[in-house]
Amino acid sequence: MRIRLLLVAVLLVVLASTAASTGGSAPVRVRFVSLAWQKQAVEAVKAVVADWNRANPSIQVDYAQVDWGSIHDYLQTSFQTGDVPDIFHYESIPILDFAKRGFLTDLTPMISKELRADVLPAAWQTVLTQDKKIYAIPYLWESLIIIYNKKAFAEAGIKPPTVANPWTWDEMQKAAKALTKDRDGDGRTDQFGAALGLRSPVNRVLNLSMGFGGTYFYQQGGRTVVYVGDAERQLLTILMNMLYVDKTASLDGIGRSSPELIPGFLAGRYAMLPGIGVWARQQLVETAPAGFEWGVLSPLKAKTQYQGSATQTLSIPAAAKNKEAAMRFIEFALNRDNMAKQALGDWLFPTRASSITLPGFRTPQNGWDVSTESVKSLRMATWQRVLGYNEWRTRLATPLMNELFANRITVEQFARRLESESPEILDRYR
Amino acid sequence: MTLSRSTRRRAGTALLFIPLSAYVAFLAFPLLWLLSTSFKLPNEIMVSRPAIVPKQPTLENYREVLGPEGVVRPSLNTFKVSVAAALLALAIALPAAYALARKQSPLNKAIIGWILVSQSFPSILIIVPLFLILARVALSNSHVGLIFVYVVWSLPFVLWILHGFVKGLPVELEEAAAMDGASFPQILFRILMPLLLPGLATTLLYALVNAWNEFFFALVVLKDPDLVTIQVSLARFRGIEGLARWGPLAAGSVVATLPALIAFTFLQRRLVSGLLSGGVKN
Repeated sequence: MRIRLLLVAVLLVVLASTAASTGGSAPVRVRFVSLAWQKQAVEAVKAVVADWNRANPSIQVDYAQVDWGSIHDYLQTSFQTGDVPDIFHYESIPILDFAKRGFLTDLTPMISKELRADVLPAAWQTVLTQDKKIYAIPYLWESLIIIYNKKAFAEAGIKPPTVANPWTWDEMQKAAKALTKDRDGDGRTDQFGAALGLRSPVNRVLNLSMGFGGTYFYQQGGRTVVYVGDAERQLLTILMNMLYVDKTASLDGIGRSSPELIPGFLAGRYAMLPGIGVWARQQLVETAPAGFEWGVLSPLKAKTQYQGSATQTLSIPAAAKNKEAAMRFIEFALNRDNMAKQALGDWLFPTRASSITLPGFRTPQNGWDVSTESVKSLRMATWQRVLGYNEWRTRLATPLMNELFANRITVEQFARRLESESPEILDRYR
Repeated sequence: MTLSRSTRRRAGTALLFIPLSAYVAFLAFPLLWLLSTSFKLPNEIMVSRPAIVPKQPTLENYREVLGPEGVVRPSLNTFKVSVAAALLALAIALPAAYALARKQSPLNKAIIGWILVSQSFPSILIIVPLFLILARVALSNSHVGLIFVYVVWSLPFVLWILHGFVKGLPVELEEAAAMDGASFPQILFRILMPLLLPGLATTLLYALVNAWNEFFFALVVLKDPDLVTIQVSLARFRGIEGLARWGPLAAGSVVATLPALIAFTFLQRRLVSGLLSGGVKN
């Protein structure tokens, strides 16, 4: 009996000490909300989290996936209730608004010198607030490229341009004419030179207008005003000519997004997809029939090859419980190799100069080499800092651009209406 | 040549089946398309003329969604939450509906009015206070908390519908039963319940489907990936610019639809039998 009692007592002491020791060394838990959704991208993020958790038993990261369609409401609700993730993945545009409303931690003093120096300045620009603070680390971005059908180019005797000597918009239009064909002579075009996804055209048009020097938004006496001058009109005129004068761009693009044009591209209906995101290459790799050869062309040159871009970011909410641990994980997740791993998984570019020189981004396979060169053209989107941009885009610019691309109004009418109707929205945000 | 009456009747029935078959095909087409997509690889989905019958059927999508990180656990979570929420809503709504239907007072009219008004509240408006309440009672990030939310969310409509059903039953039935010496529980369970079966089945289905398909509350309330429901889990396959991983999304949707289809089949039979039993008693 005594022995039994002794054994029970020893057992209790052991259990108590185990419980105490477990309680004492309970790891800090960091909740990380990611938006990666492609299979490879999810695997890359999970691998980074697993590597961290193995190497850091005292700080354990709990990975959770939220989808792009719900993240905004998810975060808004989280900020309001205070039940926030410790780290979240999003993009630079709404981040500036969240920062302004006090929802985010100022990361400026927490970012390591190494990370600060290695991320490209143009990427930092996308997250820098007016008072020069940083509330998000930019780590992925994309450019708009041209994807082309190699067989169609060869048939038309067109030599693709090189990275060093890219096409101008004029040269692209000439090529589109040569590529537009009525193969069976029935008076209907069987192969269009190009197709542009114009379902939500505003961001794309504004981003590409930067190459012409078009910014749309100007400051005038402390107000943001919209001006559609020559620089802004050039791209619109080119697109309208391709759609309705030369008829080298398919009208299929009106009302469709770029990815929705990929089946038509693979069926040989369009020879080029200009202004499509670099990530679209993954869709082609997954869906192209055997033997279909496609390539990537550099961004077109207007005055410059510049194009606006936003970045995907990682941030820490102001209400996060474990900010320091969260920042340590961010530094790990965004080191040279891990950032590269995630960018490759998403078919996007890393923002680190050291990551982008890695062989994965320089291989000619799947157009990586040409695509990666386009990073040099990326600049902060001019509209990113415009207060009220989202409402302006949704309520005014998108319907007007839809009318324009449906050929119901002219470029001149579009310009006049955009200029005259913008103050009604933008002045409310002053 | 004159056709016999039975031949004409058969021909008429056959003709009737043509539009009926077309209507069934129309209704079933999205499901067929879903099923077809679930057996396709991306190179058969992203084509300009997709076929309904996969050329190279694959089980790859099902392998993914039935794997350890697929939709099986979320489906079970959803089943648990939605069944509990539907039954609880019904259990609360039935006595409340009876009281509202049978006791005439200005207060009851005000309550009915309030129930109608509460239907117009957008979910985004109530999620923050609701979440704060859940957090205060330590029910955020738990299925119990989500069940509570779903009960609150579906209760007004369930109550409103049941109130109509109870009101439609003649009060004389209860009076006759009382005259015969039946107690109130006997009246409730042996007289009213069989007559209310169609109403109960309808409201149960509503509450069940409502909870099964709900996305936003589940997204906000449940943070632990092991607790998420099917709708939140399926959203993982959606990307940006209209992109999605269509194959796994379709396979996951098929898996998610099956329990609801089974529940519908079962409850539909109950609904019909309830209707018949109501008819006999009247």
